[in-house]
Amino acid sequence: MINIKNFAVRKISAFGMKYLPFADAASEAVPLSRLLRLSLFQVTVGMALVLMVGTLNRVMIVELNVPATLVGAMLALPLVFAPFRALIGFKSDNFKSALGLRRLPYIYKGTMLQFGGFAIMPFALLVLSGYGKAAQAPHWIGEVGAAIAFLLVGAGVHMVQTVGLALATDLVEEEDQPKVVGLMYVSLLAGMIVSAFTYGAALQTYSPLRLIQVIQGSAVLTVVLNGLAMWKQEARDRVRGNAIRTAEPSFAQAWARLSERPGLMRLLAIIAFGTAGFGMADVLMEPFGGQVLQMSVAETTRLTVYLAFGTLVGFTMASRWMARGARPIDVAIYGALIGVPAFGLIILSAHLLSIAVLIVATLAAGFGAGLFGHGTLTTTMRTAPRDQIGLSLGAWGAVQTTSAGASIAVGGFLRDRLQSGSAGVHSAGAYIPVFCLEIGLLMLALLLAFPIFGRAGRPYDAQKTAQDGFAKGNAG
Amino acid sequence: MSNDPNKVWPTGLTLSEAEEVHSYLIDGTRVFGVIALIAHILVAVSTPWLG
Repeated sequence: MINIKNFAVRKISAFGMKYLPFADAASEAVPLSRLLRLSLFQVTVGMALVLMVGTLNRVMIVELNVPATLVGAMLALPLVFAPFRALIGFKSDNFKSALGLRRLPYIYKGTMLQFGGFAIMPFALLVLSGYGKAAQAPHWIGEVGAAIAFLLVGAGVHMVQTVGLALATDLVEEEDQPKVVGLMYVSLLAGMIVSAFTYGAALQTYSPLRLIQVIQGSAVLTVVLNGLAMWKQEARDRVRGNAIRTAEPSFAQAWARLSERPGLMRLLAIIAFGTAGFGMADVLMEPFGGQVLQMSVAETTRLTVYLAFGTLVGFTMASRWMARGARPIDVAIYGALIGVPAFGLIILSAHLLSIAVLIVATLAAGFGAGLFGHGTLTTTMRTAPRDQIGLSLGAWGAVQTTSAGASIAVGGFLRDRLQSGSAGVHSAGAYIPVFCLEIGLLMLALLLAFPIFGRAGRPYDAQKTAQDGFAKGNAG
Repeated sequence: MSNDPNKVWPTGLTLSEAEEVHSYLIDGTRVFGVIALIAHILVAVSTPWLG
C-alpha cells in the first residue's frame, strides 16, 4: 500500500513538473525563446489598447451613434486605474503564497479581468446604443454596463502589464535587461499594428453580430496568449513559501523607501514630461498631414506607419547601444534630444509645404520616442531594488500611462478644436502651438535630465552594484 | 523530497499549497459567475428572451 502511494506521489510529481504552469527552477540563463513567449502578454495589451482607443472609438461614434462626449468619458475610464499600478506592483512584491509565487497570480487575475471586460463589452455597447429593446430600458443600464466593461479591461491591462514586466525583470540578469525591454516594446508595437489591421478588416462591414464576434474573439485570444506567455515562467519557491511571514510593510513605507533613492523622483518626472511630449504626436500627425499639407488618407496613414517604423528602429538601436555598454538614461536623453529638432522640422514642413520634410521629421520623432521609451524603462529596471521590482515598475507604469493618456486626450481635444478651421497653410497656425508645446515638454525633460547626463559617477550603476553585493553577502 | 510529511496524497503538494491552488479556482469561478450574470442581464435588456 505504502509502495503504491510512494510510486503514485513520485509519478504525479514528475508529471506535474512537466505539465504544471511553473518553471522547475529559476535557471541561470533564460533562453530567448522563453522571453519571446513571455512577451506575448504585451501583444494582448496592445490588442486591448487598439481595440479601445482606436477601433471602438470609431465604431461607437460612427456605427452606434453614441455621443462623442460619452465615448470620450468611457475611454478615459481605464486611465483612472493607472496610478494603482504602483499598488499592484507593491502587492505582487509582497504576495503571500504557499507556492512561493509572486507574479503569476496577478497575471492570472489580470487576464481574468481583461477577459471578463471583453466578454460583456459588446452587449454593453449594444445596450448603450439602444439596440433592439434596449431603447425602452433606462439609460443608466447601458452606461453602467459599458463603464464596468471598460474598467475591467483597463484594470486587467494595468495588472498584466505591470506584473508581467516585473516578472521579466525578475527573470533576466542585468546585462540582458535592454534585450528584454526591446522585446517587450516590439511585441507591444507588433500587437498594436497587427490588431489594428485585423480589427479594421473584420469590422469593414459592421453588424451587431460581427461586433460581438470580434470583441469576444479578442477575449478568448487574450486568455490563450496570456496563458502561453505565463506558462512555466515563474519558479515555485518553497523557501519563499515557507518563510515565516514578517509583518508586511505598508504601501506608504515601501513607497517612502523607494522614493528615498536618489534620482528616482527625477527619473519619474523625466518620464512624465518626455512621454507627454512624444505622446501628443500620435494623434496629431495624421490630421496635420491631411489638413496642412493636403495629403490623402492613404498618405496620412503611411505617416503613422513611418512613425511606428521609426520607433521600431529606435528600440532596436537602443538595445544594441546598451548591449555595448551605453547607459540607459543617456540613451533616453539622446531620444529626447532627437525629438526636439524632429518637432521643429514638422513646424518647418508646414512653412515649406514639403511632404518629404514631414516624413523625415516623422521618422526622427518615432526614432526619438523609441530611444526615450526604451531608455527610461531600462533605467527603471536597473535602478529597481531586487525586492521592490514590482513597485518600481508599477511607478513607471503609473507615470508613463497617465502621461501618455493625458497627452493623447489633450492632443485629441486640441485636434478636434482645430479641425473646424480652414484647410491649407492657414490651418497650420493652429497646429504650431501644439508642436511647440511638445518641444517645450521635451525641453523640460532634458533640463531635468541634464545634471545626470553622462555623469562619470554613474550613480545608478554604482548603487545597484553595491546593493547587489549587499544582498549576495546576506545570502551567502 | 518525497518523504516530506507535510505533503498530502495524491498531488505531492502541502496542505497550504493545495489550498492556494484551490483558492485560484474559487476566484476564477466567482469572477466568471459575476461576468456571466452581467452579460445575461445586458443581453436580456436588448433582446429579451423571456417574453
